[in-house]
Amino acid sequence: MKQSNIRNFSIIAHIDHGKSTLADRILEITGALDKRELKAQTLDSMDIERERGITIKLNAVELKYNLDGEEYTLHLIDTPGHVDFSYEVSRSLAACEGAVLVVDAAQGIEAQTLANLYLALESDLVIIPVINKIDLPNADVEKVTNELVNVLGFKKEDIILTSGKTGEGVKELIEEIIKKVPAPKIDNESPTRALIFDSYYDDYRGVIVSVKLEEGEIRKKDKIKFMATGESFDIEEIGVNTPKQVLKDKMISGEVGFIGASIKSIESVNVGDTVTVLRNEASIPLDGYKPMKPMVYSGIFPVEPNKYEALKEALEKLKLNDASLTIEKESSEALGFGFRCGFLGLLHMDVIKERIKREFGIEIIVTSPSVIYKVKLTNGEIIEVDNPNSMPDRVSIKSVEEPFIRTNIFVPSEYIGDVMGLCTEKRGIFETTEYIDQKRVNIHYLLPLSEIVYDFFDKLKSYTKGYASFDYELIGYRESDLVKMDILLNGEKVDALSLIVHKDSAYKRGKEIVSNLKEVIPRQLFQIPIQASIGSKIIARENISAMRKNVLAKCYGGDISRKRKLLEKQKEGKKKMKMIGKVELPSEAFLSILKSDK
Amino acid sequence: MVKSMYIHIPFCKSICSYCDFAKILYNEKYVMPYLEKLKNEVIDAYDGKEINTLYIGGGTPSCLEETELIYLSEIIKTIKLSDTYEFTFECNIEDISPDLLILLKDMKVNRLSIGIESFNKCKLDFMNRKADFKDVQQKINLVRSYGFDNINLDLMYGLPGETLKDTKKDLKYILKLNPEHISTYSLIIEDHTMCKIRSDENIDPEEEIKMYEYIVKTLKKKGYNHYEVSNFSKSGYQSKHNMTYWNNEEYYGFGLGASGYIEGFRYDNTKNLDAYLLSKYRESEVLMSKSDMMENEVMLGLRKMEGINLQEFFDKYEINMQDAFPIKPLIKNKELIYKDGYVYINPKYIYVMNELLLKLI
Repeated sequence: MKQSNIRNFSIIAHIDHGKSTLADRILEITGALDKRELKAQTLDSMDIERERGITIKLNAVELKYNLDGEEYTLHLIDTPGHVDFSYEVSRSLAACEGAVLVVDAAQGIEAQTLANLYLALESDLVIIPVINKIDLPNADVEKVTNELVNVLGFKKEDIILTSGKTGEGVKELIEEIIKKVPAPKIDNESPTRALIFDSYYDDYRGVIVSVKLEEGEIRKKDKIKFMATGESFDIEEIGVNTPKQVLKDKMISGEVGFIGASIKSIESVNVGDTVTVLRNEASIPLDGYKPMKPMVYSGIFPVEPNKYEALKEALEKLKLNDASLTIEKESSEALGFGFRCGFLGLLHMDVIKERIKREFGIEIIVTSPSVIYKVKLTNGEIIEVDNPNSMPDRVSIKSVEEPFIRTNIFVPSEYIGDVMGLCTEKRGIFETTEYIDQKRVNIHYLLPLSEIVYDFFDKLKSYTKGYASFDYELIGYRESDLVKMDILLNGEKVDALSLIVHKDSAYKRGKEIVSNLKEVIPRQLFQIPIQASIGSKIIARENISAMRKNVLAKCYGGDISRKRKLLEKQKEGKKKMKMIGKVELPSEAFLSILKSDK
Repeated sequence: MVKSMYIHIPFCKSICSYCDFAKILYNEKYVMPYLEKLKNEVIDAYDGKEINTLYIGGGTPSCLEETELIYLSEIIKTIKLSDTYEFTFECNIEDISPDLLILLKDMKVNRLSIGIESFNKCKLDFMNRKADFKDVQQKINLVRSYGFDNINLDLMYGLPGETLKDTKKDLKYILKLNPEHISTYSLIIEDHTMCKIRSDENIDPEEEIKMYEYIVKTLKKKGYNHYEVSNFSKSGYQSKHNMTYWNNEEYYGFGLGASGYIEGFRYDNTKNLDAYLLSKYRESEVLMSKSDMMENEVMLGLRKMEGINLQEFFDKYEINMQDAFPIKPLIKNKELIYKDGYVYINPKYIYVMNELLLKLI
């Protein structure tokens, strides 16, 4: 293989603009997979990804394509489209020289089109603009072309038109990639340095690391060394995904592939670290990535206390290929031992939660997410608080700052009023409105991140009938009048339900929360008061009346086995409940405090 | 030793909306073949020893024609009854006639269970049943004149649209008939019933419990003993047969969809008539482990208002109930009551007794 014939590229797009389907078509046309092998969206290997139509984990595949008598090797590195996972996007972009920017022919530019484009430009990538889904009846190629030219500054003649569904234009796109995207830097002589951009745990083979080899060579007989941890391992296998795994004898600079080396401990591998070989050892690691800081934190606890170790193992395995997940031990009076986890956003949290349940079969309770507050104490000290229960006593607080974000809200102009109303309600500070064309705008507001964590996104969707797309960047901290609110069940404070709210909305939130809890907590043998309090002041109250009926009205000879099963089913349901004092709480209760009334 | 026997007759002249027993609209063509198979099933399984309680239920056993009933009585005559036997036969009120009563007397039936359920037009329509008070009164008098002195009447409550006033009225009529025994159930919407298909919904449990509490209170005042969640009797007239179930004792079950409990096995017969007519009686059977038996003992025993006798529990399982089940915290909470060697559910909690069972088993 000629190194000058290698092309490393990603596909970036707003969610649902057809990225994964387009990738499938590329796989098909390059012969990597025939139609029969092609499950819809092959690169999305997790069930959750296919179900939700989103890509979470990046995947890399090697493809072959002949053009003008030359064989080219293409490495396609898939990327996530959701705002929460922009860190993953930058990881994959770091392994590329080019990016295909996909825009839906009916939707046009959306919030994450912009966010992803900026990330690609930061990595100095060659961008190939593509208008996809041109087969749609409501496709408006001319309008979207104008957007790409006027808003993003592309040249009209550089735009490729494709349909992932019919395959139209996909061959042209592949050839454009070969022509426009530069070959990776070739350097087989320097000390070996490869960037780890992904890793996962295989029960039989240990940790498998995905790398892009920047300089030097990695051979099958080499001993590799992880530069951050200093640990060395004998290579067991080198290979590429085509997308089936194919083993190779060596990897040369510019190539993307995987290495297995019977690595037993997941702690040995850090995504972003540099791999070198002892035969030609490098002394300085590659730049790596800036580890992205989690934006929201919440507690994860096993429903059954004896699952603590299993949960620990699960989280560690997930962290292995998800560098943005942070884990720390936490203990709660109500929930026992668990972990305080940091996430990039709510979707990220949701995905982790689902994966713990599905892939590891552990029932968990997730507490209400919190952002990181900066608390200035009266003694001048500044502390960071990511857990409402660590909030110091009010009297020792001088001021509290919370993270603010700047929004990109893309929306048809008739919804400007609704969006502004919502942002004001969420304590937003208006900045500007940019017109994308006559009919669409990008609205910029400054908003507290905690409001985004709460219900902003759901409300935005409903206020704009689903037309809005939304993205944000963190802009720093601002002072706010914040208070800690506690929830009492049956007169006892439940630490895992505490949260930090803005003083002005405390009463409203308190009311919402107690009424949500009333809905999710099943009736029990006694009446249960639910109260919200700030300090010692009760600001909202509801009662769950005592249960009146749970009886088998009749139970004769033919009913016994059946009724017994019914009881066992009820018993199973009980197992998912957590005893808080005398009260049985379903795990949803801990997240129900996030839901708003409407 | 098995001392009880249940025999199921699945045929009915009309189908009640709530009924989830094995049932088929009466069809002459199938009755005799069914009874022949039933006879074989009894001969195969019955060990010939004395039976203390026999119960023929349905379906509607009383809807059979005379020749069919005579054939049924031939089967019954192969069963040896003890001196103190109780033999219950389920009847529909419109089937009651002198001819039927003579036949039943001849069969040695000594207890009749008559499904009245209600006299309220709306409730009856909902259930797809009929009943007229005058007519019922005459029939009950007729029954008594033939010497039947142990009569059970059923009453259903908690039907959609029913008010406490409706329940009171129904109960008043039932009491006028002065039965020895009353079974009263709230509506349960079971799978594969008309109610389920029509998507009927239960009434508000707050309303339902008021009805239940009214019934319990009133029947006690009228001298009935509340001896099981849904059952009341005058002194000496508890249903011996049903006590077999609640005492977790073994019983034969014969006929379509019947269940039995023999030599440690709980079994269910097929509900499919075609299969039954091909002598494929059993659908499933499960051997009860000791812990299954103990858990059933608790689930069933606590249905009795007198509860579970701790000495009897120990004699049966060679372990103290308080060592096998965490009853102590419930006693401390006054959810269970321990008195005179018995553990029983605090009557206050009888309508939420599943919640207590869930803490125990």
